[in-house]
Amino acid sequence: MTMTAFLETYGFLIVSMLLGALLGLSVYLPLMAGQLSLASPGFYALGGYIAAILSTQVFPVTEGSFPLLELLLEMLLAAIAAAVLAIALGIPVLRLRGIYLAIATIAFVEILRVLALNLEITGGAVGIFGIPQPFQSQIGYLWIVVPLLGLSMVFLYRLESMHVGRVLRAIREDELAADTMGINPTHYKLLSFVLGAVLAGVVGAISAHFLNTWNARQGTFDASIVYLAFVLSGGSRTFVGPVVGGIVLTALPEILRGMAGISGLPIWLAQFLQDGRLIIFGLLIVMSTVFLPPRGNYTRTVTTMAMAKAAARQRETRETREGSD
Amino acid sequence: MQASFLFNHGHHSIFTAILNGLSIGSVYAIFALGYTLVFSILGIINFAHGAIFTLGAYFSYTLTGGAFGFNGLLANASLPIHLPFLFALVLGSILAGIASVIVERLAFRPLRKRGADPLLTLVSSLGAAVVIVNVIQYLVGSEIYTFPSDIYGRLPASINFGTVERPIAIRTVQIVIFSVSALIVSILTYFINFTRFGKALQAVSEDAITASLLGINTEKFITFTFFLSGFLAGLAGTLVGSSVSIAGPYFGIAFGLKGLGVIVLGGLGNIPGAVLGGLVIGLAEAFVPADYSGYKEAIAFALLFMMLLVRPQGLLGRSVIQKV
Repeated sequence: MTMTAFLETYGFLIVSMLLGALLGLSVYLPLMAGQLSLASPGFYALGGYIAAILSTQVFPVTEGSFPLLELLLEMLLAAIAAAVLAIALGIPVLRLRGIYLAIATIAFVEILRVLALNLEITGGAVGIFGIPQPFQSQIGYLWIVVPLLGLSMVFLYRLESMHVGRVLRAIREDELAADTMGINPTHYKLLSFVLGAVLAGVVGAISAHFLNTWNARQGTFDASIVYLAFVLSGGSRTFVGPVVGGIVLTALPEILRGMAGISGLPIWLAQFLQDGRLIIFGLLIVMSTVFLPPRGNYTRTVTTMAMAKAAARQRETRETREGSD
Repeated sequence: MQASFLFNHGHHSIFTAILNGLSIGSVYAIFALGYTLVFSILGIINFAHGAIFTLGAYFSYTLTGGAFGFNGLLANASLPIHLPFLFALVLGSILAGIASVIVERLAFRPLRKRGADPLLTLVSSLGAAVVIVNVIQYLVGSEIYTFPSDIYGRLPASINFGTVERPIAIRTVQIVIFSVSALIVSILTYFINFTRFGKALQAVSEDAITASLLGINTEKFITFTFFLSGFLAGLAGTLVGSSVSIAGPYFGIAFGLKGLGVIVLGGLGNIPGAVLGGLVIGLAEAFVPADYSGYKEAIAFALLFMMLLVRPQGLLGRSVIQKV
């Protein structure tokens, strides 16, 4: 197979893999400051709707391919919208910790989904169809996606080695300690949250064109699980993990489907590889959390037993309460 | 404002809305009790709870003799037995409880033994949910299954609570759901507050280490809590499935997310709070005007969101002071 033929055949998969890597990074960014946010799919959906609405209803219809400049403009607008929404959401929500933050971001994604299903401008349950194509074939999207991924990786590489990166790590390890050292945790948590949102919004704008159609099934709770799996399976100590995770896990269903076609494989196994891909996916998520070495996790792993710590905290609370009586 | 509200709706529709709200709200309550029991003991959210809910509905459906559709490994299969609905409900829920214990062993216990961050357990439970949902889909496909219409035997389809001239018809299903849920909540309240076992359970949730030092077998209680939690999820799943239909393997996921709204509203880990939260959200949904019914699904999340911002400990929760 020649290089061009290969790219044509696997164009969709290759671009999807790189988009997966970018989405993994959008979840990884808040995690740099130890914040488990599941809001990325919400910003992804927002970016997609901005691109879909602008290109089908606002911009004038053009002969031939959709102008690249207009795509870049959409990406910029998606980034700005995501940033504004992320700041408005992040200021109240980032006061919450751990599980409460995760739940609040789930609620945010669900509210956006219900809005998308009911508003007229988003096309309701049907969604938006026939989003114009800027490239002749799907592999053309590499012209946009490769530079974006490259820039993001360089940016994150720089970020991790800079002062800001060390501050984020300090907050991730121990927010209270960082606070007492004179760091303003809210400021940096918001920064990493907004950066993650902007990335998700931009990827959404590209994906709307790439997928040709956009509806309320894009960027739901299921998507949160998938993106999280990208980060977890790849590892979350550096930005390389989510990139590798996003690429490999996006390709995994295709690889399994390919394996199902290998001759000599028992029928039932081939069948399972084909139809049970998501079962394997779920098992991978469970196994990557259960068997991951303690230090490879995305948040601080407590050295003492979590339960002992929670119990101690409750005891202290009780004492505080009794003391104040 | 109250008066015009009453006027616009008319008395009987208010009555119907309240009964419908209590009916769905009571299912939210028993479902959320399962969530909150696990949270009160381990301080974690079990995201597989919604998947266990689905599983319970499928178990009960199978036990009533329901056949499967054309897709999946078990296409066209059905059990040769036709259990009466109440037996299927109980047995299906017990099976759901057992499934929940298995999830605990595989996805929770290894992390607990390692003393891992509670957030990791959250992710692991998400993985378990993905596995369960897709195993269901692999086995029986993603068709919609409806319980047979005669599951309540000779009971009429609806009961008139009004007069002959102004009927207020309430579906029998709603009444059965409300009765079963009210019964379960009462039994559970008694069990937790007045039995030795229940008091031990409270002790474990208050302080697991001290409880174990005082001779309580903590692991045994965790296993039992997961069983109880799965049982409640199975009950809720079967009740909702029998009231509407089993809308495919994913139908518990949306319900599970809504359950988050219920427990946050009442206070995470707070048992009366889960009941209150369930009823509040059920009633709030029942009063959404028909023109805006599309937004009904967002109510639980909007309430959740506001609650987290205003009072994160929930309506009945007590705040925890964080110390270094």
